[in-house]
This record gives sequence, C-alpha cells and structure tokens, in this order.
Amino acid sequence: MAFKKIGLAVSFSPNSRALLFEAKRLSEMFNAELVLIHIGDFSEELKTELTAMIKEAGIEESSYKLLWREGDVEDSILEFCSTEKIDLLVAGALIKENFLKYYIGSIARTLMREAPCSVLLLTQPSVERAPFKKICVSVDFTSLSELAAKKAYEISQLINAHELFFIREFQLPALATTVYDSGSKEEAQAMRHTWLDEEKNKMELFVRELNLVDADVKTICLYGKQGWEASNWVNENKGDLFVIPSPARKPKLLDRIFQHDWEFVFRQLPCSLLIVKPENATE
Amino acid sequence: MNLTETDIVLFLAGVAVMLFFSRAIGEFLKKFKQPIVLGEILAGIILGPTILGALFPSLTNNFISNSGSVNIAFQGITLLAVVMLLLVSGLEVDLSLVARQGKAASLISVMGVVFPFALGFGAAWFFPNVLGITSNENHLIFALFVGTALSITALPVVARTLMDLNIFKTEIGFLIIASAMLNDLVGWIIFSVILAMMRGNASGIEFGSTMLMLGAFIVLTLLVGRKIFNFILPKFEKVTTYPGGVLNLILTLGFLGAAFSEWIGVHAIFGAFIVGIAIGDSVHLKEETREIIQQFVTNIFAPLFFVSIGLRVNFIQNFDLGIVLIFLVLAFVGKVVGCGLGAYWGGMNKEDSLAIGFGMNSRGAMEIVLGTLAFQAGLIQEKVFVALIIMALVTSLSSAPAMSYFLKRSKKKLTFKDLLRKDMIIFPEASSKELIIRELCEFVSAKSKLNKEKVFEEVWKRELQFSTGLANHLAIPHARLKIQSPIITIAVCRNGIEFESLDAKDAKIVILLLTPETEPELQLKLLADISKNFHSIDTAEEICKLQTTEEVISKFKQLS
Repeated sequence: MAFKKIGLAVSFSPNSRALLFEAKRLSEMFNAELVLIHIGDFSEELKTELTAMIKEAGIEESSYKLLWREGDVEDSILEFCSTEKIDLLVAGALIKENFLKYYIGSIARTLMREAPCSVLLLTQPSVERAPFKKICVSVDFTSLSELAAKKAYEISQLINAHELFFIREFQLPALATTVYDSGSKEEAQAMRHTWLDEEKNKMELFVRELNLVDADVKTICLYGKQGWEASNWVNENKGDLFVIPSPARKPKLLDRIFQHDWEFVFRQLPCSLLIVKPENATE
Repeated sequence: MNLTETDIVLFLAGVAVMLFFSRAIGEFLKKFKQPIVLGEILAGIILGPTILGALFPSLTNNFISNSGSVNIAFQGITLLAVVMLLLVSGLEVDLSLVARQGKAASLISVMGVVFPFALGFGAAWFFPNVLGITSNENHLIFALFVGTALSITALPVVARTLMDLNIFKTEIGFLIIASAMLNDLVGWIIFSVILAMMRGNASGIEFGSTMLMLGAFIVLTLLVGRKIFNFILPKFEKVTTYPGGVLNLILTLGFLGAAFSEWIGVHAIFGAFIVGIAIGDSVHLKEETREIIQQFVTNIFAPLFFVSIGLRVNFIQNFDLGIVLIFLVLAFVGKVVGCGLGAYWGGMNKEDSLAIGFGMNSRGAMEIVLGTLAFQAGLIQEKVFVALIIMALVTSLSSAPAMSYFLKRSKKKLTFKDLLRKDMIIFPEASSKELIIRELCEFVSAKSKLNKEKVFEEVWKRELQFSTGLANHLAIPHARLKIQSPIITIAVCRNGIEFESLDAKDAKIVILLLTPETEPELQLKLLADISKNFHSIDTAEEICKLQTTEEVISKFKQLS
C-alpha cells in the first residue's frame, strides 16, 4: 500500500473539521491506520468536544488513535511522526481571500519543510471532495523521484485517476551567453532541442523501467527554471495533485532568498501537493 | 561643443571601419575555432597605433581621430557598449544555481578568488618594480588591482568552452558554471571597491560613505529590486509589444543602475551588472529575450568596445616579455591551483579538479574590460595593460584544450564509448536468454571481483519484470549494484537468441549494463546512449560478421 499510517494534527478550527473528513477518506482509500494529534491544554471538556468532532466526521472510535500533548506544536507533531512511525502527514492550505493564492499556515509550512515522513498538503480541505483526476509528478531521475512516481501511480490506481503526467524540467544556465564568442543563435537553439530530446528519451526509459502496469503515463519535458516551470505547467493544465520528491536537504537562508526548485512550489501552490520522503526515513 | 560635418563623417566612417574589420577578422579566426573577441582585439591592434598608425601616422590620426569632439563621441559609445556588456553578463548570473550546487561550487569559487588574489596581491606588494610600478602613491591599490585581475573568470568564455567540449549539460559543467558565476560577482565587487578607493583618494569623497551606499545598493537590488522586477515583468509584457517593450525595460533599468553606481562613486558598469543579475533571476524572462539582447549587445556594441582597446595603445612598443610572462605564470598558477584545490576538497578526483582549474582559468572579455577600466583610471601603465590583454587571451585560448586533455584522463567514464573495453567482449555459444545472462554475469564478476550470484540475481530480477530485449537485435540486461562506476560487458551472439524483444527479432548483441545504485540517472543515460547506436537493423548483423574483439571495438567507436 502507498501509505500505512496517516497522521493529522487537529485543533478546534473549522479547517480542522474539514481535514478530519479528508483524513477519513484517505485512511479508507489507503486502508491505513489513522493517528490524530492534538497539541494544547488538556481538559475532559475539551476532550469530549474533540471526540464529538471526530465522530461527526464519521470516524469510528475503534479506527483511530488520539495523541494529546501540551507543548510546542511543531516540535511535538514532528516528534510524534517519528515515534509513531507515521508515513503520511496531512495538512491543509486555504485560498486566501481576494488573492488567487493559497494560504499555508505557519505550522503547515514548517511541517512540509521538516517532517520526517511524506506530507500531503490539501488545498481547501472540504467535507466532500471529488477524487483527483489529473495527477502530475515531478521527475528528476533520483531514486526518490522513482518512489514519488510509484506512489503517484498507486494513488492513481486506487482512485481511478484518468491522467498521470510525469514532468521533467531542466535548464542550462548561461546558455544564452554562448551565442556570443562565435556561437550562433541557431546553434544554441539546436543544442536546446538536442538536450530536450535526450531528456525525452530518458523519460521514456524511466517510465518503462518503473513497469507501471495498466497506466497511461504521459511525459512532459520543459525547459526552464526548475520547480517554477513544472509548477506553472500543473497550474495551467489544471492538475489537481502534484507529487514531488522532498528536497534533498533542509533549505537554508540562501535557498529562501534565491529561490530554486521546490521553494517556488511551496511559495505558490498550484494544487494539492504530496511531498514524498524516503520510506525508511521515520525508522 | 558641436560636431562639425567633418567630425560626423569621421565618426560614422570610424564606426563602420571598426565594425567591419572586427567582424571580418573574427569570422576568419572562427574558421580556426578561435573566439571572436580575439578578432575584435586584433582589429583594434591593426587599425590603431601598433600597425596602421606606425605605417601611416597621418591616416590614423585623421581617421580614428584625434579631434576633441569626435573623441568624446567615441568615449560615449564605448561607455554605452561596456555598460551593456556588463548588463548582459549580469543577466546570465543565476545565484540560485550557486545555492543549489552547494559546497563544491562555493569551495571552487572561493578558492578561485582567494588564492589568485593572494598570489597577485603578494607579488605586486612585494615586487612592485618587477610588475612595472614605480611610484609609491598607489602601491596598495595597485596590489589590490593585480589580485583582482588574477581572480576574474569570464562566464561567456567558460560557457562557450563547455559547449564546444560537449560537457555543458553534465555535472561538472554545472559546477563550473555555478562557480564562474559566483566568481564573477565577487570579482566585480572587489574591483568596484578598488575603483572607489582610487576616486576617493583623488576627489576626497569619503570612502566609507561610498561603501555604505554600495552595500545598500547591492542588497536592495538583489533582494527587493529582483522581486519587484519579477512581479512587474509579466504585467509589463502584457501591455507592451514583444520584444521591444521588454528590451526597453531591461535597458532602461540597466542604465539607471549604471548611472546610480557612477553617482555614488563606483564605476557605472557595476550598477549595470547588479541590475542585470536582478533582472536575469526573473522566472518570467524568456530564453528568447536573453538571446536577443545578447545578440545585439555582443554583435554590435561589444565589438566597438574591444576594437577601441587596440586603438589606445601601441602593443609592440609596450610589449614587455618579462611582465607578460610574470602575469601568465601568476594567472595559471593562481586559477589552476586555487580552483583545482577547491574542487579537490569539494570531493572531485584529481583529473576532474585539474579540468575545472583550467576551465575556470579563462578570463576572456571580463579581464579585458577590467584592464581597460584600470588603464583609463590611470591605475596601470601601458606595459601592464598590454600584458593583461595578452594574459586574458592566452588563458582563454588554452582553456579548452587543457580541459579536454584532463577530462579524457578522468576516471569518470560517463558515455557508452568511454566505457568500451576490449577485454569485456565475449563471443558465447549460449542458446537461451537465461544462459547468456548467466554467462555474462559470471564473466563480469570474475573480471571485476563481484559476487556472481548477487549480480545474476539482480539482473535476472529485473529481466523477469519484463524483457530488456529492444529492437534491431539488441538487448540490454541491466541492474544497479553497489559499485563505484558503471561496467559494460558485450556478448556477440552470432546465432541469435530468443529474447522476447519488442520487434520479436532474436538478440544478437547482448550488452550487460551494471551501474552504481546511487546514480539512477546514469543508468537511464547509458541505456539511451547505447540504444541510439542501434537505430539501423544492419548494425548488429555487421558486428556479428567481425572476428576479433579489436574489430568489434572499432566498429562500435564508428557508430553514431
């Protein structure tokens, strides 16, 4: 199965209520255990209120585990992910009013950058949601992107998603300068085409080697800034789940200032986002 | 002061002659694979006091003119040219690439600046007379300048060299480009500080306040200006005509930045460079726009600047072999050792490190700009200037051959043809898919000291998923293993083996491909690389007719 244990941090917000419905659907879809985490002051009243909320979402008492702790929200959730061996953490992103931009709360932002497990960031969590129809995966030919591709494939099979797109983007910085010093514009463009063909070939082989039975995978190769091009493509083509391998290392200040790769995606979500971590990361 | 009619005629004719000769010589040199900038400089040397001026002094005096107003017109146009040249250089500096490349790139560029800088500074500080400085007045500034001059790397030349060597789109290519970008930025910052110091000495403007403004300008442009431009660009493109609108915007901002940096006491080119970086970072800036702006700047304005260099100085009179040799030695030692060490510490092997060192050694146009500005500012004398120009050209010209020499010796073999070895070819008699794969696995395990059971297990596991038989009698069974570098073993099966291939034809060439498990992309690359050699059905048949391993190897090497 794609994921065995799903984690969700719940509070008393309306957003959280919707996320409970989402988590229930996901746990049924993956046939996965559900771990609900609440960080905050404990009292019997609050607990009754929370269990009522959970019940309202249709989650039976026997099918989840509730963890309650007082302390730092982010640190506690991250710790539970490791100790409970959660392999998918669910969080929500809201559409900001008056802006065509999703708002990701500061906690969700930390979780997607630092969680030891995969993270699914759902845009506009809702009580009812149509299943994903168009799943897009960003491929960079690493082992992790192979895993991301497999997860996306499993999900597409589970929900009968019609379309599965594998997207490869690459850019050669300073290519334009080669038109100077005896290079011609045609030559630079021809090289770009040759390289695009090379990437297309590799993409075909990549898909073939994954041996995805019964899947109709379409491959897309884009030339442009990594992270931004794919995100933009997903946005323009109305993808509804974007699957990416998690960044290889924690972003540092320099990475935030000079955005690259996934920082573009994180900054402006094109749609729901699944960040895939290596499977043994929590062990 | 107005231009008289004669002045206008002289000025325009001068521009025409400069453009024509620079292009003509450039195109001629291109036939010998030499960079065009070399042609542009030679054109200047020929038209200037060195050759034509020496032969027909009166002609040159009239033509490339000494009339005051024409001179000012020329100064204006070369200033425009150099500002635009730096603007487009900035456009291609992608600081996120540096952030992404991480440690190795930072080490290479830091070492590529620090080491040559220290070397140059030391030499100029302790032996100023040898390097042609006689007065003590600007001793410190001169030493700082020599340090900077040695630490410059020219991104365009580097990019061009990588393209010619066909390693642009490789790991080492990205690393060199990223290092060169950071190197450029650091080099120009140091140089503008030096120029500001000089002006401060001369004009009495306080050095501290200039530095403060310079720092604020860099930070604001790179952090805030960059974001604002990225935000504005798509909206601006919607309401203006492409490409006129966007080109206008880029140049407007570039000149504004240049004017500002000149106003605060740092040379104009620096502002243009920083604005260029901020603009080039925008995700909305089209590749085509970059190419257009590169083209008109580097083909129309840059030649005027580079030709004008030869017009300033007599290269023969001011040629001092001693100084030239000293600069050459310092330049090579500084960059090759500095960047090479950086690369080596960053985890590259010896050959790759040397290749990177020589790659970063090319100084090209940027050094020439730097030298010219220092010469104009009176910081260096003719002899040092000439030595710098020659050093810039020699380092650029030697870069490609030296890189390709060391890359060939590098242990990192990344293409099918690099990996071919004549002791890794067999002519087996095996009759089934499993037997042939087993035989190949045993053979390669014995040769490479691997566990044959483990190798077979992995290859067979992959084979069972679905056949690795491709079209045109080719099959590539493969696996990823715990090995350091890829291994290729070839079986030539004259009888053909049923391999459940895509085109249902028997496999005659079976190539076992083992790659390191840590590099999944390399496996895909090699698979693509091997199969593209077999686009004709005759290839495998022809190889089957060959008798010896040597013949097979040379046949493979001929394939394309």
